[in-house]
Amino acid sequence: MPSEINKEPSINSKGARWDRLPDTYNYEDLLGEAKKYKGVSLSQDAWKRLKKNKAAMAALSFLILISILAILTPFLPFQSPRNTQTELQFQGPQFSILSDQGLGLATLSGTAYEQRLDLLFGDKNAFDRMLIAGRVNLFGDACFASWCGRDELGRDVLARLFWGARVSLLVGLVAALVSLIIGVTYGAISGYQGGMIDNLMMRFVDVLYSVPFFFVVIFIITILNAPDIKSFMIENGIDRILIFFLVIGLVYWLTMARVVRGQILSLKEQQFIEAARTIGAGNTRIIFKHLIPNVFSIVIVYLTLTIPQVMLFEAFLSFLGLGVEPPDVSWGMLANDGVRAISPLKIYWWLVVYPGLMLAATLFALNFLGDGLRDALDPRMKNRS
Amino acid sequence: MTQFILRRLVWMALTLWAVFTISFILMKSVPGGPYSSERALSPEIQKNFEARYGLDKPLIEQYFDQLTYAITFDLGMSTRLKDFTVNEVIAQGLPISATLGVIALSFALILGLTTGVLSALGRGTFTDVFFMSIATVGIAIPNFVIASITIILFVFLWQLFPAAGWGSASHLILPAFALGAPYAAYIARLTRTGMLEVLSQDYIRTARAKGLPTYQVVYRHALQGAILPVVSYLGPAIAGVLTGSVVIERIFSIPGLGSHFIDAALQRDYTLAMSLVLVYTTLLYTMNFLVDLSYTFLDPRVKIPS
Amino acid sequence: MAATLRLMFPWIALCGMLAAGVWAFSFQSLPPADFTFANSTEIESTDPAIVTGAPEGRVIYSIYEALLGFDPETLEASTEFGVAESWEVSDDLTVYTFKLRDEACWTNGETTAPIIAEDFAWSWMRMLHPETAAQYAYQLYYIKNASKFNTGQVEVGDPVEVELYDRPIPTQTFPRGTILHGECVSIETQENSEDAIYTIQTDEGEKRFIKNENPSEGVTAARNILFDFQHVGVKALNEKTLEITLNYPTPFFPKLMAFYPLSPVNRESIEKHGYPGFTKPENLVNNGPYRISFRRLRDRIRLVKNKHYWRRDKVELEIVDILAVENTQTSLNLYLTGELDWSPDVPVTMIPTLLERYQDLEYKAFNPQPFLGCYYYMLNTTHEALQKEKVRRALNLALNKEEIVSRITGAGEVAAYSYVPPGIAGYERAFCEQYNPEKAKELLAEAGYPNAQGFPVIEIMYNTHEAHRSIAETIQAQWKRTLGINVRLANQEWGSYLDTRRNLEYNVARAAWIGDYVDPNTFLDMFVTDGENNQTGWSNKQYDQYIEEATREKDAKKRMEILHQAEILLMKEMPIIPIYYYVDKNIVQPYVTGFYRNLQDVHPVQFLGIDKEKKARFTNSEIR
Repeated sequence: MPSEINKEPSINSKGARWDRLPDTYNYEDLLGEAKKYKGVSLSQDAWKRLKKNKAAMAALSFLILISILAILTPFLPFQSPRNTQTELQFQGPQFSILSDQGLGLATLSGTAYEQRLDLLFGDKNAFDRMLIAGRVNLFGDACFASWCGRDELGRDVLARLFWGARVSLLVGLVAALVSLIIGVTYGAISGYQGGMIDNLMMRFVDVLYSVPFFFVVIFIITILNAPDIKSFMIENGIDRILIFFLVIGLVYWLTMARVVRGQILSLKEQQFIEAARTIGAGNTRIIFKHLIPNVFSIVIVYLTLTIPQVMLFEAFLSFLGLGVEPPDVSWGMLANDGVRAISPLKIYWWLVVYPGLMLAATLFALNFLGDGLRDALDPRMKNRS
Repeated sequence: MTQFILRRLVWMALTLWAVFTISFILMKSVPGGPYSSERALSPEIQKNFEARYGLDKPLIEQYFDQLTYAITFDLGMSTRLKDFTVNEVIAQGLPISATLGVIALSFALILGLTTGVLSALGRGTFTDVFFMSIATVGIAIPNFVIASITIILFVFLWQLFPAAGWGSASHLILPAFALGAPYAAYIARLTRTGMLEVLSQDYIRTARAKGLPTYQVVYRHALQGAILPVVSYLGPAIAGVLTGSVVIERIFSIPGLGSHFIDAALQRDYTLAMSLVLVYTTLLYTMNFLVDLSYTFLDPRVKIPS
Repeated sequence: MAATLRLMFPWIALCGMLAAGVWAFSFQSLPPADFTFANSTEIESTDPAIVTGAPEGRVIYSIYEALLGFDPETLEASTEFGVAESWEVSDDLTVYTFKLRDEACWTNGETTAPIIAEDFAWSWMRMLHPETAAQYAYQLYYIKNASKFNTGQVEVGDPVEVELYDRPIPTQTFPRGTILHGECVSIETQENSEDAIYTIQTDEGEKRFIKNENPSEGVTAARNILFDFQHVGVKALNEKTLEITLNYPTPFFPKLMAFYPLSPVNRESIEKHGYPGFTKPENLVNNGPYRISFRRLRDRIRLVKNKHYWRRDKVELEIVDILAVENTQTSLNLYLTGELDWSPDVPVTMIPTLLERYQDLEYKAFNPQPFLGCYYYMLNTTHEALQKEKVRRALNLALNKEEIVSRITGAGEVAAYSYVPPGIAGYERAFCEQYNPEKAKELLAEAGYPNAQGFPVIEIMYNTHEAHRSIAETIQAQWKRTLGINVRLANQEWGSYLDTRRNLEYNVARAAWIGDYVDPNTFLDMFVTDGENNQTGWSNKQYDQYIEEATREKDAKKRMEILHQAEILLMKEMPIIPIYYYVDKNIVQPYVTGFYRNLQDVHPVQFLGIDKEKKARFTNSEIR
């Protein structure tokens, strides 16, 4: 327990001051009066304020829009993200609206349709197949021209950006959630408890930080490749992608935990916490009701900073053989491919600019949203305009 | 205080041991070995190789051998850079990574703190939006892209700096910039948030009310509180930067520790990889310790546990 | 105190920066080298006996000289360059006698000592010694009894040497302890110990030995019990004559004698400084064209000309820097800014641009030429579908290799339809079938998978590398398009990839082979049953027999014919699908002289030079 608290003496030496309250004081009236006011919850209040922030709302709309587009990608008239056409390799951006080559799906049916579909989009789940079928019904074989150029194997970069968004946005979301849930809670508990518990918890973080991640990943891959495990996973429908998300989660709560702990260490000495403790609030309540809302601003900044990093980190995992399997694609892989295309001799700029723009736009939106959320969630701003 | 430090030292030994053990187990359970090459060795030659590096002993014996090495600071021979002991490899690489890291981080700190404070003070103004947009771009663009672009600009278009290598001050500038830029962006954003937080607090209002000039308010009062999240972030960042960044070292062909680590891992140079893990852990732990200490200096409310 | 510290925080950062800056500015700049080249990676060692890679080769060729040298253009082994000034071979082609030249000498930079025949015998003994753990030890297995000595097998009746536990420096293999020679009389295995007791008839009578530090009574502790090196086919007849006895006629043996791992090392220096002490520049005693001035890890090795080297007058470059640049884009940048004179590799994505750039110029700084290497896919012949020859053939027929070489690799690689690359004099290659989608489908149907029905999903495994991924993705798409089969890609990092390959846990795997010497045998002998590099599970008795026959065949022409038969078999059953033959990717400044694009892509520095007048011209011009 926090033994280091040694500010004004005896605020929390329980009972001392309460004794002096006059016995005749009428609590019932006071309570009755208090009940008449309807409390506004923090989240309602925050939402109200967020709505007023134009930049934040624009950012939020952008993020929602791009997420919807990512989910609906198969429905939209893009070219195939995986069909290689090496004769068109490194073709620059085109400025017509529609591509002169169609999908070649509309006139097919039965096995021929299946085969063509498989060639263009790979083995997809029922939801995606439905979307693709809808797209063929609506748009026929038409697809957008290669507005963003083509890559080394002649694949359409625009289509790859959107198919990549599906993976990358999900990766970002998972990492954000994990670092939010595990990282914040862990850091808050550690900072609040202090002493031996804090020490133990933080040393555990240190250990996780230091164990070479490289070997952890290869180790996991080795286990996954063992024949028993492989068949077990297939039987139980566990995807490698799921493992990949777990690994990402494993890493991205550590910094968050440290940062939150640092903040809590300072916050827990402030008067409002002592006040809360004085009126008998339990530890859980203090941590989740009083401390965590106060670290939200920094938490949100961290989150917005972490998400793009995770998206790039995902490319490193692919390097080790965990994660996105080519010809599937992600933004991290696109960015890595882009860098290979920059050289003083020749720059295939579209390969680096468009993935860069996508990443930057997402990040900008996240930042504006983060700033807005920060203001909205600030407890000190409560019930102000 | 002394007791606090002593206690942390004990914790450090425990942490190091835990990291050592986990890494050892992981490393040994991963497929491949230091003799792996496209040309497979015949079993006999592989046996000779394993005997030479003590890889044929039972695992538990190898574990204690390595542990003894680590405790006595004699980290053994590298199994890939065969002419060198691990100590020699670290002695050559660490100062280089550290120099680059210190310069990159100092640059990041100065730039990040200044822009962060300026943005916070002029919240919502053009300065704020401008700085923060740049910071956002700095975070969104991976450092290898920054490196490639700076090379095209400052090596080929304006022939100011050498393309790569190590050995003179002019070799340092581009890699330090590319390495420091994302950190600067990070720090700028963290500082701005911290500042905004602090600026709305009562004691700042009091200070202003007293009629202190803005720079005094910022420097003497606000910055100290605002810098906390930056400091939390710096601990791991310094440890990471001092032990080298693989990508930047590769692009600028800098002989630091980062490349050593990734190569040691890829080529299963067990002794070198193990030792680098320990070096990194020690640095990380020390930095985090300093960070914890600095909380008490930076924020008068935080007390050192007695 | 706390308050002041708090205020100092920003200043600490500034001071740190200044301090590091001052330190950085205090670096002493090096005098420039005459010639600088990139070496792909930090080398493993400068000890010739224990290295294997091409980057190591570039360094070893500069500091050591082997028994023979080779002509940099034709690669023919020649006495014009090596330590030997002449050689003779017996009629049955198994006994070689080399005469060493008098001028060749060891040097420590100051003084010199003559190289004697015993130096070679000792160096090879050291290379073959099990404790040296030389990965290239098998290059000496052509010599009589060498493999026995290296693998440590001893049988009853063998001559043996016993090393006692009395080494002057216990941690070093050399100098060795007392050596007893004798004949192995019996070997008793023990129940509760791995170590056997060897009874050996020595000059002092029969004695019992065990390879263990703590023997039981009546048994002597031995460090090593090995086949007697005196009976290995390397003999110094006198100071300047070396006789080598081979197991079989080995037509490429002279070429092997010019191969860098077989360079001699200086016994005195090794016994004095031990390993790795003798590799340090200050202790180095060598016999090659250059000496090491200093070595900075991952940065550079600086070579200076050896003023005692016997061909010193023919060596043009005085100071040479070897940079350990790993990133090909970085080395290209350095090349373009004129800091590199030669880089052995360029980024794959830049190949078309580079080719175009030098297309119309009189000189070709980048001009890829084929060399002795093949990029291929291995098929796991123990896999349920891939075990059928027709399936393997169908996969080959469905591959459009021309698309891969023209679009993906793009440096002028040649699509491969045989495993042995072209260019080996006297050898006629055997070919597999060419691209034929119709026939591929037919064969797949015949194998029981009409329209790919029932064909399992197969996985292409490759190690993580930009080019491998593009090739795998293209092949994946081609097989999908032509055969309709589903192919997955799985990349692994190097160590895991090699392991998976060796354990046959893959379906289809990328692989490559670079010839060790200019002879089809270096490609073909790996596919014998259970060969370490076979790794496909393929086994064919007839094939094994061909390889065995070729080893024993004296007549060069007949031998080539037998090897041709073996390749026909390999290309018919297709445990592997050849994809393309490698080309070199050297980019060399136009003013470099003596650079030949040869079959093995080796370019010893001693033959290179710089045309100063041309260099001045190019430094001022825009295009390098």
